[in-house]
Amino acid sequence: MSGSKPRLEDLSIIVSGQGGDGSLTVINILADVLRSVGMRAYTERDVLSRIKGGIVAATLRACHDERLCIGSQIDLIVVFDLFAIRKQAHRLNDRSIVIYDSSGGGLPDDSGVPEGARVIGIPFSRHAVRMFRSDIYKNSISSAVVGRLIGLNDDDMRAAFEKRFGRRGAEALKYNLDALAVGHELADEVGLTADEGLYEIVSADSKPHMLITGNEAVAFGFVVAGGRFFAGYPITPSTDIMEWLQKWLPRFGGVVRQPEDELSVINMAIGAALTGTRTMVATSGPGLSLMQEGIGQLGMAEIPLVVVDSQRSGPSTGMPTKPEQSDINLLVYGGHGDFPRIVLAPGTPQECFHITVKACNLAEKYQLPVFIALDQGLSQNLATIDPIDEGQVVVERGKRLDAESLAGMAIYKRYAFSEDGVSAFAPPGTPGGMSLVTGNEHDEFGQVSTDPGNRTRMMQKRQSKLQSMQADLPRAVTHGVETADIGFVGIGMTHGVILEAMDILAARGVPTQYHQLQTLWPMLDETPDFTRGCPCVFVVEYNATGQLARLIVAHGGEEAHIESVLIYDGVPLRAEDLVQKVIERMDSRRHKAA
Amino acid sequence: MTETFTPTRPIWCAGCGDFGVLEALITALDELQIPVHDRMFIAGIGCSGSLQNYLSCYGYHALHGRVLPTATGVKLANPQLTVVGVGGDGDGYAIGGGHLMHSFKRNPGVTYIVMNNGTYGLTKGQASPTSVTGFQGNTEEDLDPIMLGLSIPGSTFLARGYSGHPAQLLQLTLAALRHTAAGQGLSYLEVLSPCVTYNDTYREWRTGVFNIDSEDGYDPGNRAGAFERMCELREQGRLPLGLIYQGERPALESLALNPEFAAPARQDLNDPGLAAGYREAMQSFIR
Repeated sequence: MSGSKPRLEDLSIIVSGQGGDGSLTVINILADVLRSVGMRAYTERDVLSRIKGGIVAATLRACHDERLCIGSQIDLIVVFDLFAIRKQAHRLNDRSIVIYDSSGGGLPDDSGVPEGARVIGIPFSRHAVRMFRSDIYKNSISSAVVGRLIGLNDDDMRAAFEKRFGRRGAEALKYNLDALAVGHELADEVGLTADEGLYEIVSADSKPHMLITGNEAVAFGFVVAGGRFFAGYPITPSTDIMEWLQKWLPRFGGVVRQPEDELSVINMAIGAALTGTRTMVATSGPGLSLMQEGIGQLGMAEIPLVVVDSQRSGPSTGMPTKPEQSDINLLVYGGHGDFPRIVLAPGTPQECFHITVKACNLAEKYQLPVFIALDQGLSQNLATIDPIDEGQVVVERGKRLDAESLAGMAIYKRYAFSEDGVSAFAPPGTPGGMSLVTGNEHDEFGQVSTDPGNRTRMMQKRQSKLQSMQADLPRAVTHGVETADIGFVGIGMTHGVILEAMDILAARGVPTQYHQLQTLWPMLDETPDFTRGCPCVFVVEYNATGQLARLIVAHGGEEAHIESVLIYDGVPLRAEDLVQKVIERMDSRRHKAA
Repeated sequence: MTETFTPTRPIWCAGCGDFGVLEALITALDELQIPVHDRMFIAGIGCSGSLQNYLSCYGYHALHGRVLPTATGVKLANPQLTVVGVGGDGDGYAIGGGHLMHSFKRNPGVTYIVMNNGTYGLTKGQASPTSVTGFQGNTEEDLDPIMLGLSIPGSTFLARGYSGHPAQLLQLTLAALRHTAAGQGLSYLEVLSPCVTYNDTYREWRTGVFNIDSEDGYDPGNRAGAFERMCELREQGRLPLGLIYQGERPALESLALNPEFAAPARQDLNDPGLAAGYREAMQSFIR
């Protein structure tokens, strides 16, 4: 039987229903099974800022090769709620498969499901309530059916269940395993027997992949970089960072605190950082707004801190669960007064790990705030990645003095003028290193000073770090054909979409190149250079005003070469949509030229 | 000996109550033989927030109102330090008032001294949370932070001194530092510290204070009794001085830190022994 089935190459699956239905649970279990059999998985969530209710959806892409985005079309949809099918119908095609919960009756005629699509009704909810007296078990029942459809082995599904529900106690595990068995029986009834799946799973490679989100990769990177103090206040979509660290950081002698507000967060972090402890905070736009006074303090008083901003839709409270990259201005320009800072932007979970390590090193080396710009998609979407070699991490602590080195010095000045703008740091508790640290303008000892000459030199000292750090900053990664006339620039969650759009365009004979920024600030010459060298550069970003494009233009980028692609409706961009935009804009450029 | 910064002369006006606090702190820290390099001062914004410049220590000038969160972060990262927070009533009760309540609840090993003069001296005499009704057109009732502290079950040390009574102030400063050094957490000491320029209250406070330390039968271990007495004295227009409440509860750092490890600030981040744990964390994303 298996020989006649197509190999599972690329499948996008949506599970959708009312909030609280557990759509995410189904998708996460399937992603884990796919990971365990050597396939690639990528998940995306479309949820609301409420615990129960509303239409939510979780999407899974199962691939043979690495893809860091959801496909443009949906191959398989599981809906627990009939409203959900209407919301997703536009992304289905005549080859799609629809599995719906028929407990409440058949699919209505106006469901929007395209003709030709295969529709399977299974009364998940009714079975769940009858067998387990709880509607929630419909998730486990349905995951059995989906597993069968895509060709996952029953035993592998059971193993994933044992892993996931085993943590919740013997009873939870038993009920869910029973629900899985019920699901398999129901699958048999509709003709999806164990060997009737639609695909054959052929592992891409035998290497075990990690299944990880960007948030988790940041948290993991922080621990391995020697981070030992974290403070946070719950805020979507950054909270997972704190939750992962709450579990892991104490195992390495670190501390996680969740104080009363973001003002306390940033200042508690400053306190820990003052002692020479590697410290990080994570927040989202509203929290970062509250922290601004502290950000300036870090710059002025020369205190190292890593600040993670998991961006969400703004302004104000905005759409808390929806993606945006609209804090770029805040990250680059936020805070009163002039002070140096670094803003880094990873695009994959691997980069989240490595950039966090880099951020920790840069913060201590240059004694200033280092931001990591994430967004909701990069933060929360699960992806399979090659294992991270955490053993390669190097911890660089910068100019740090101990009692011995201080004893050999005639005089110690916390803010001594220096070639690179960085002064040596003696952690409190070190004999001979007493110092004054202040956000007032100060002299080399840290004593308050308004002397104009001192002021000028101190400003120059701090600003000079922006020059001395240049060689240390992560460079952009270039993808595609370097001579191509069409280019892309993007950060964060646009990364996977841009790569896929490039593949689609290449298949249609249109070569492109892609400049994937890693350092947003200070902006390196390479980025404006890229926009000067490539005649048409699509800057793809999730905001309404082109914050990234404007930043590039402000630093010498070629405005006439830039085409801004702006997304601010809260919906993740699909590669096919980006391809359409590229084709339309190129046509319109040609018309203008002609 | 390495030369570091030289403590400067205070910027305070002649007669400022803050001189008494500085004197008590220097004497108490010396008496307790705390080495200068283990003293970490976290100072607020305002006249009192310059105190760290006038003695030998590691000093940090915090953002306005953020003395307590900052001091808590310092103590958690390096509990070997003697962490002293200093600031004024505007800093601690107005812009930073929210942190006071949470710090009582949190009980970090910090000594927090608020120099209360009932006004914003540095900005030339506006009403503060502890200004009496009528001061600079103040229409609000003055705040009693000792009563706030009593109302929060986590608080462990609440005292009030007066810079006009230096002997008692020294004893209270010593008691506060000892409470924290004994692992009992936050010692909160409010000091009535008159602003001779904008709110000279020496005369009112000389007659208005009431020394509870010398009151027969007063039990600082009885929270309810202490609260009742505070209410009575307030109704009589008296300002109680002395050790008002002292309880027992482990300090935050003893609960929040993993005792198997050195404190966060004192760890060797390149210790090869960490590798196995890091590998386990990596494997948790695979298994």
